[in-house]
Amino acid sequence: MPVEKTACSCSEKLYLPRPATIVKVRQVTPTEKLFELRLDDGSDLGHQPGQFVEVSLFGYGEAPISVSSSPTRKGTFELCVRAAGSLTNAMHKLPEGATIGIRGPYGNGFDTEQLKGKDILFIGGGIGLVPLRSLINYVLDNRGDYGKTTILYGTKSPAEILFTDELKAWEEDPTVDFRMTVDRGDENWTGHIGVITTLLEDLETGPATTYAVVVGPPIMYKFVLLSLRSQDFRDDHVIVSLERRMKCGVGKCGHCQMNSIYVCQDGPVFNYARIKDFPEAF
Amino acid sequence: MKEPEQKLVVPNGWLEALVRKLRVQGTRVLAPVERDGAVDFREINSADEMAANYVNTRVPLKEILFPRTETILEFDQPSGGDVVFSGVEANAAPTIVIGARPCDLSAIGVLDTVFNWDYHDTFYGQRRANTTFVGVACREADGNCFCGSVAGGAGENEGSDVFVRPTADGALLEIMTERGKKLAQSIDDAAPAAGKEEPLPVAATEERFDVEKIKGWLDDHFDDDFWLDVSLKCLGCGACSYLCPTCHCFDIVDESDWRGGERRRNWDCCSFALFTLHTSGHNPRPDQQSRCRNRLMHKFKYFVERFGRRACVGCGRCIRVCGAGQNIVNVLIDITRAEAATSGSA
Repeated sequence: MPVEKTACSCSEKLYLPRPATIVKVRQVTPTEKLFELRLDDGSDLGHQPGQFVEVSLFGYGEAPISVSSSPTRKGTFELCVRAAGSLTNAMHKLPEGATIGIRGPYGNGFDTEQLKGKDILFIGGGIGLVPLRSLINYVLDNRGDYGKTTILYGTKSPAEILFTDELKAWEEDPTVDFRMTVDRGDENWTGHIGVITTLLEDLETGPATTYAVVVGPPIMYKFVLLSLRSQDFRDDHVIVSLERRMKCGVGKCGHCQMNSIYVCQDGPVFNYARIKDFPEAF
Repeated sequence: MKEPEQKLVVPNGWLEALVRKLRVQGTRVLAPVERDGAVDFREINSADEMAANYVNTRVPLKEILFPRTETILEFDQPSGGDVVFSGVEANAAPTIVIGARPCDLSAIGVLDTVFNWDYHDTFYGQRRANTTFVGVACREADGNCFCGSVAGGAGENEGSDVFVRPTADGALLEIMTERGKKLAQSIDDAAPAAGKEEPLPVAATEERFDVEKIKGWLDDHFDDDFWLDVSLKCLGCGACSYLCPTCHCFDIVDESDWRGGERRRNWDCCSFALFTLHTSGHNPRPDQQSRCRNRLMHKFKYFVERFGRRACVGCGRCIRVCGAGQNIVNVLIDITRAEAATSGSA
């Protein structure tokens, strides 16, 4: 009797992206563009704040990009992309109406349930505001579920400030304490100057009831984590999101492996208490 | 060692008859074949083509389930039009693999874990479901084999669908799985084993280091000059990973011309400097020292913590292939000694 072909119980389309159309493109800084996308099958992306997608540009490959919009804003989703590598530079050249591929959403995202009823201190550095924005807008859209909201945002210079319209709205929102800083000002800058930890110094937070959600470059984590500790923040009240060179996004390819963790599946969002002893985390 | 579902005895000549029958049925059969001085799994039509004596194949069994390169989708961009892309089917023709070694079969368990722990990998899963493994006990080992230190040794049947223990006048077949039972239906002259059969002795591979003690040392020595010493002998070429039966890292890249192309996944290696490099320039493992440490830690610590099994089966390929003479057994012996020295039990 010939051996018959057996079907496997695997995810049929694990590596097959879904087509999505660029609905709107906006240049938000000299190096970042905000892409508003709609999946061609008409469905919502169905993401959690803090999750990411694998963006496909055929001929260039795939890159992991954080979703920047809140799932409370239906119909489309937003990716804010810095032109940094070959794929992202090519993506910056795409016009509205162009099709790209999307896999995901992947990863765990922020635990919006755990944060319910808590005061939240958002700390975003540079492009770290991109994933943080999905959670900030989620919290603001569900204002009643969350306590006091403080947002600290820092960039290297005024030219790198993202989402200026939204920052203004947060600043004017009486329920939000919004503060920002730049490492170096320019001739037009009248705001605060200094690294982001200087904003933490004159902040009155109640570490017992506050969760700090921190997203930024590796160097920022080092100093912000020290600063939070000096303000008596418990390690398990600090939430971070890690960046890795993820390829598959589904815990197979090994690129994001760190100790016994796959950042793409176990993260990218982590409770600091879980990863603080991992030397490769930051 | 697992208790077989069934034990059968077969006379000499059983393998020749089985291969003939499978080929008449049109079934793909892979077996170790020697060509240009190297033994590797190749398609055969007759058992005569099989290598007579081999310790193991040059390229591990993993390539049958997880090829070094494979197309995962195709795309096309007609001039002026939008990109059209479509998935591809895994090439998963029903296959019988004969002559696999216990170390490589044990490594399939590691691959099964990775490719299924959360999402189920399409391409791996389809091949796995259509591949039957006939393992053979090793009668010979070479100086680089160390399965006795990390895995079940030369007579381990776990991972096989059918496990062959040669006897003086034929073989004792251990039928381990449903797939194995199906294959056994094509084996002529098989009789139920009486229990008196005496398999020929398997190769001896004595324990050369203590894996439990190694794990203990690794737990406490992330920062240690030891890793610098190890890395000085590493070229970062990746040959050890490519030939490792448990290494499973891959890259995803597009290959295209002016009009269309395909997306492929290719074997990759955590020893490469670019493996973890971010576009921003940040690299969580910025030097060879941290990369060598990760490779060893992953096999003997991280994978154990995550999935409850080691990701090293003692096949010795990494030692045979290393152009700089790196020897993982010596590294592990050094760790065992260091552990003994720190715990004061030397």
